[in-house]
Amino acid sequence: MFCEKVIELIRELHRMSDGQLPAFNEDGLRQVLQEMEALYEQNQTDVNEAKSEGRADLIPSIKLRHCCLLRNQRCVTAYCYDRLLRIRSLRWEYGSVLPANVRFHMCAEEVQWFSQYKKSLASFMRSLGGGEGLDLTQDMKPPKSLYIEVRCLKDHGEFEIDDGTVILLKKNSQHFLPRWKCEQLIRQGVLEHVVS
Amino acid sequence: MFITDIRKEFYEVVANQRVALLVASDIDALCACKILQGLFHCDQVQYTLVPVTGWQDLSTAFLEHKEQFRYFVLINCGANVDLLETLQPDDDSVFFICDTHRPVDVVNVYNDSQIKLLIKQDDDLGVPPYDDIFRDEDDEEGGDSGNESDEGSEPSGKRRRFDEGAVERRIDRQRAKREWEARRREILFDYEQYEYHGTSAALMFFELAWVLTKDTKDMLWWAVIGLTDQWVHDKITHMKYVTDIATMQRHVSRHNHRNEDEENSLSIDCMRISFEYDLRLALYQHWSLYESICNSCYTSCNFKLWTLNGQKKLQEFLADMGLPLKQVKQKFNSMDMSIKENLRDVIEESSNKYGMKDIRIQTFGVHFGFKNRFLASDMVHATAALLESTEKDESASDNFIKALDSLSRSNLERLHSGIDLAKKKLMAIQQTVASCICTNLIVSQGPFLYCYLMEGTPDVKLFSKPMALTLLCKYLLKAFVHSTRNKRCKLLPLIMAAPKDVEKGSVIVVGIPPESETSDKKNFFGRAFEKAAESTSSRTLHDNFDTSIIELKTEDRSKFLDALITLLS
Repeated sequence: MFCEKVIELIRELHRMSDGQLPAFNEDGLRQVLQEMEALYEQNQTDVNEAKSEGRADLIPSIKLRHCCLLRNQRCVTAYCYDRLLRIRSLRWEYGSVLPANVRFHMCAEEVQWFSQYKKSLASFMRSLGGGEGLDLTQDMKPPKSLYIEVRCLKDHGEFEIDDGTVILLKKNSQHFLPRWKCEQLIRQGVLEHVVS
Repeated sequence: MFITDIRKEFYEVVANQRVALLVASDIDALCACKILQGLFHCDQVQYTLVPVTGWQDLSTAFLEHKEQFRYFVLINCGANVDLLETLQPDDDSVFFICDTHRPVDVVNVYNDSQIKLLIKQDDDLGVPPYDDIFRDEDDEEGGDSGNESDEGSEPSGKRRRFDEGAVERRIDRQRAKREWEARRREILFDYEQYEYHGTSAALMFFELAWVLTKDTKDMLWWAVIGLTDQWVHDKITHMKYVTDIATMQRHVSRHNHRNEDEENSLSIDCMRISFEYDLRLALYQHWSLYESICNSCYTSCNFKLWTLNGQKKLQEFLADMGLPLKQVKQKFNSMDMSIKENLRDVIEESSNKYGMKDIRIQTFGVHFGFKNRFLASDMVHATAALLESTEKDESASDNFIKALDSLSRSNLERLHSGIDLAKKKLMAIQQTVASCICTNLIVSQGPFLYCYLMEGTPDVKLFSKPMALTLLCKYLLKAFVHSTRNKRCKLLPLIMAAPKDVEKGSVIVVGIPPESETSDKKNFFGRAFEKAAESTSSRTLHDNFDTSIIELKTEDRSKFLDALITLLS
């Protein structure tokens, strides 16, 4: 059946729903492109035949193949675009250096796209803050104050902050700490920002 | 030592430091904690908040945090026991204690370096003077050595006379010392015999906020809740409550001064606190009037609602006021406006006929948004129910966090769930009181009344928590006083025991002072329990900050009681 291979690609992405990047399915993509090429060739010959010999009964099959081609195109672009969005969010989550196992899952073009995205993000951030630059990737939400109140959701043990002091993070204890120190732990789910 | 200027000696000291807050598990402490947190957020003082439920918790928390913190603020814990001996801190740790438990331990009062008490000194403390309890050992040594050197320098002829003189003087000194020690023991016994409560911690911190001019309406509301908690749980006398309410009223009118403008009226969503002379019916605005009357201690005891006669009197009472049963049994908010308008006056008039002169009490209410109106006592009941909820898989600190959250205005669902839990708790209390009175579970043991809740009693799990059990105890005593004909029994205190932990086989025992109109709420059971446990070597745990609440092994119950009876007769 036509378009089944491309649906496979989409399902693969759908299965990894929480932003993880599966390996780039080169084989699958190549098969889909081959299918599209084959459909296109068949359509070409049929269109020529229909034109020259006036065979109107070929037109439905031409239309069918055309629809399949469009569907394949739509799915392939969706696949590529979704991967791109995931790679973009990786920049915000991991920073500018990606871990090796993630980079392994990206194809050469995606790696190139990623480095260009990095460059444009960096130049944008540099242009903010009156020429000084502002690291937008540091905070998950726009910060309202220097210090925030956080609640500890699980026992994390001791935690050191900038001036060398150590804080014991025990479950259900609340702390009032500088914002930048807590961001990492909030992302990890150890601390929870308390808004009163 | 007592702090005189709370701003200079406390706030400015900790303003640039990191502080550990150790907070006890009662509503007053939670409110005080909220106020202090608000102040710390304003000035960006870094702190760590740790909830503690008893002395063991306090010691553990201190041990865990003593490396990292130099300044500790203890809220509603730590004043009534020699803190330095219990915690054994290093010399540079400083403790700021704001505690309502009295009497304050004398060592805590007279320690100048490490213990600072955030307590008002005119608070009826009665601390014995320093010289009566502490005596420098140096005077004696100096006296002796002085005499000996005198002896050595005199010629030998007069030595015998001087020897005799010296021996006499020594005997005199020893006798004086023994007398002094005996007097000291007596003074300390009198001082530490009765346990009671002082000014609310939330009020102390609100005054700090006021002195710093950083007080907000939220903080004022929390201070009111802290004060009301002391009244709801019967910790302070009526006089003190009225005096403190008057103080709060001044602050409330100061904050409300800005609302009077007609042109710039505040939006309906702004928080408004108002003085109310409202009914003493628990949660009546969030329940039906009928349920509230049945489940509030004051009305239930006065009508004696556990008897058939009492039920009839209640129906008469409602009929006397002209309130149809159908209206009274539905949700308060859905009652007819015509009935709600004069409700308080109508109820007051009728209650006077039935012997309830104090059905109305001075309190405060808050009002924000169209739907949200709460009285201070509603908040206390809701937060107390959350703090002591007995759901499975919820540790004490989980409950503490939930209760702390419910005090913020942005967590209304939490508050409403608290109100539901409080309703269940009040109904459970009423049913338990009714069954105890009807089955004569309260027995007079001579110097006190005693009641034991068996394991299979419905809702007995609720009463394994100290505050809930204390509330039950007080309601039960009031009900008993109203129902018994024995004049002598009406003046007795009550001890109540309920199963605490079925696996460990322990019970929680609570003692409350006798019920009277002019009771000064002073409780002597703390010392009595200690002595009884010592003399029978029962396995007890005096972990609670209130010394009149202890945990005891079930098997030791009878010998402990016998020891108490002999002790108190």
